[in-house]
Amino acid sequence: MSTESLLERAAAVLAGAQETDARERPAESARTVWDELRAADALPPLDTDPAALVALVCEAGYRGTPAPLGETLLAARPLLAAAGLTVPDGPLTVASGPLDARFTHVDTGSRVGPLGARGTDDALRVSGTLHRVPWARAADAVAVLTEGPSGGPVLLLLEAAECRRAEGTNLAGEPRDDLVLTDVAVPAERVRRVPAALVREAQWRAGLARAALIAGAARRCVELTVAHTTSRVQFGRPLSHFQAVKQEEAKLVEEAALIAAAVEAAAAALADPGTAADPDTAEFAACVAAAQASASVAEITRIAHQLHGAIGFTELSPLHLATTRMWSWRDEDGSEHAWFRRIGRRVVEGGSDRLWPQVTGVGGDPSR
Amino acid sequence: MALSVLGAGAVQLPPETRQLRQEVRDFLDAERAAGTILGRPDSWLTGWDPAFTRRLAERGWVGMALPQKYGGVGRGNLERYVVIEELLAAGAPVSAHWVADRQAGPSILRHGTEEQRRHFLPRIAAGACFFSIGMSERDSGSDLASVQTRAVRTDNGWRLTGTKMWTGGAHVNDYAIVLARTEDSEDRHAGLSQFIVDLRDPHVRTEPIRLLSGEHTFNYCHLEGVELADDALLGRPGDGWQQVTGELALERSGPERFLSTLPLLTALVGQLRRTTCGPEQHARVGRLTARLSSIRQLSLGVAAALEAGRPADVHAALVKDLGTRFEGELVNAVREILPVTARFDATRGTYPELLATAILHSPGYTLRGGTNEILRGIITRGLELSS
Repeated sequence: MSTESLLERAAAVLAGAQETDARERPAESARTVWDELRAADALPPLDTDPAALVALVCEAGYRGTPAPLGETLLAARPLLAAAGLTVPDGPLTVASGPLDARFTHVDTGSRVGPLGARGTDDALRVSGTLHRVPWARAADAVAVLTEGPSGGPVLLLLEAAECRRAEGTNLAGEPRDDLVLTDVAVPAERVRRVPAALVREAQWRAGLARAALIAGAARRCVELTVAHTTSRVQFGRPLSHFQAVKQEEAKLVEEAALIAAAVEAAAAALADPGTAADPDTAEFAACVAAAQASASVAEITRIAHQLHGAIGFTELSPLHLATTRMWSWRDEDGSEHAWFRRIGRRVVEGGSDRLWPQVTGVGGDPSR
Repeated sequence: MALSVLGAGAVQLPPETRQLRQEVRDFLDAERAAGTILGRPDSWLTGWDPAFTRRLAERGWVGMALPQKYGGVGRGNLERYVVIEELLAAGAPVSAHWVADRQAGPSILRHGTEEQRRHFLPRIAAGACFFSIGMSERDSGSDLASVQTRAVRTDNGWRLTGTKMWTGGAHVNDYAIVLARTEDSEDRHAGLSQFIVDLRDPHVRTEPIRLLSGEHTFNYCHLEGVELADDALLGRPGDGWQQVTGELALERSGPERFLSTLPLLTALVGQLRRTTCGPEQHARVGRLTARLSSIRQLSLGVAAALEAGRPADVHAALVKDLGTRFEGELVNAVREILPVTARFDATRGTYPELLATAILHSPGYTLRGGTNEILRGIITRGLELSS
């Protein structure tokens, strides 16, 4: 089965689910999307080319698909797999944050650290609240990154039934639920100690997933805007014939093309076997995509709404399905300012000699 | 559909370009050590150094996409892209051969006669023959089809009369490819032709037009009844418009449309590393870096499209608008990141002098190669045609 035909089938499923409004019954909608993907044999297997996964998440962003596709395909699955945990089949989500985590079986014979700093196995009891977890109510399980009881990060897999939910939404009505954990016993087979690098990877993977969603939604903004300005007639001619409209519309297209290019480059860097030896390149490309996608949202949504006129400001036009999502997505998993600081710190610390090598992805890592 | 400009597919540079890129960087390190002036903004416009050009040519890096039988090394456009982006990022003095390498060479290869190819291309590739662009005139800027320069038939060729304007390097280069009207026509895009004109012809008179900085790169190029032999005609008579618009995708999408001020950012990072740099400064540097990296990916997409023979004029217009606006935004941003008084009279190469140069050149970024406001019309027309 080729990746391409799988992508086509998946895109067809997402196209069919397009008109579902996530605000109505998000958990059920997500379940339906998943069932349809499975029925069409379009659920990407774990070893799918990452570039194809990014393309599918772009498509989900374009359609406003009410399901955690980005969270599952680009974040939860690869992180769980990297940590050596079993990857569940259904929709997943990711969360991170401080929790109270203790060993279930404290190693009382250990002389390392205070009592409780070592367990006889990795099983944990965790308490605390994970805030605004995307699609939590629709996910079978949550991949959680937190600080372990012996210091250093751990990745654990929580099943949906183990958490109490306080439901919330983002600006587009997508589920962003708080998960309240009260002394949840997580068996050792669902806990892994992980290197600090995986925490960074979790951040940039989440950023890339958001960027892919934004790139897709930006394409929707362009399509809807072009359709509107070419069909809407005022003063006897289509809006698109006005110079002032052309100037703005061109900038809208440019900004959307810019983030599409950044996301595709990040996807390619992720997929390139050469970067396995150079994870910095994939990280830098993902940070750039996340930063530029978040940063471009303001201009894209401004122009799309301005050129739509009053109708875009209402539910009469589907434009809001794209723009309200983009207004939330740009801040979730890091605003552009957070990504800018991360990139800028890396550039300044690298010094003037390494700026250009980092941009080209060749020779940017001083240790090489 | 329409939106093929959104997501043309990421460009993976061929693996052999890694080696090539390293060779260029090693060459530049050696040049820097030998005292060649690098690190200047807008070096493809004002960095005229024929000796540097010849050293590049010795390595096969001028006209490198030209076929071997015409003196090139027959490497692809993506490899050429890697070489020129490295040279521009380093702010190397490449203006002498810039037009010859970017458009005169490819244009002569595509439209020239076998004799013209054999005469000009090996010289271009050797870094021994420099070209100017003879398109714009006083009343023909963005609206190129309105050129007034005329070539009329004579017994053994053509006589060329008119005045070209903004002709960069006409006072130091060898030839210009001049767009002239050869026939009046209802269709204003018909009846135009291109000619290869020897700038040292006694009937060619160049007159300086100084930039607002006082620098001399632009000229009037007065063509005072220049007698041209038949073999000065480039391509077919009447095909000038098609030939010129074909050149424009090459002219608009290259890395010189977003890297002109990068040397200033590089210098800034060097300055910041010596000071205590706060989170706000980091963020501003990160903003520029993210945008630069994204624009570069888009520009690479055009290079790949051109290499594959796909039309790229809408794409090229898009890159040029984004890239040249970025060149100016960069200059403004570095003023905020590290407030320093810009001084054109400071020692050459110091940070205040680089900043001054970038500021004084800033009106040009969004004008040259087609005014951005006009390019945006190309973008929206492209959208409508395909929607």
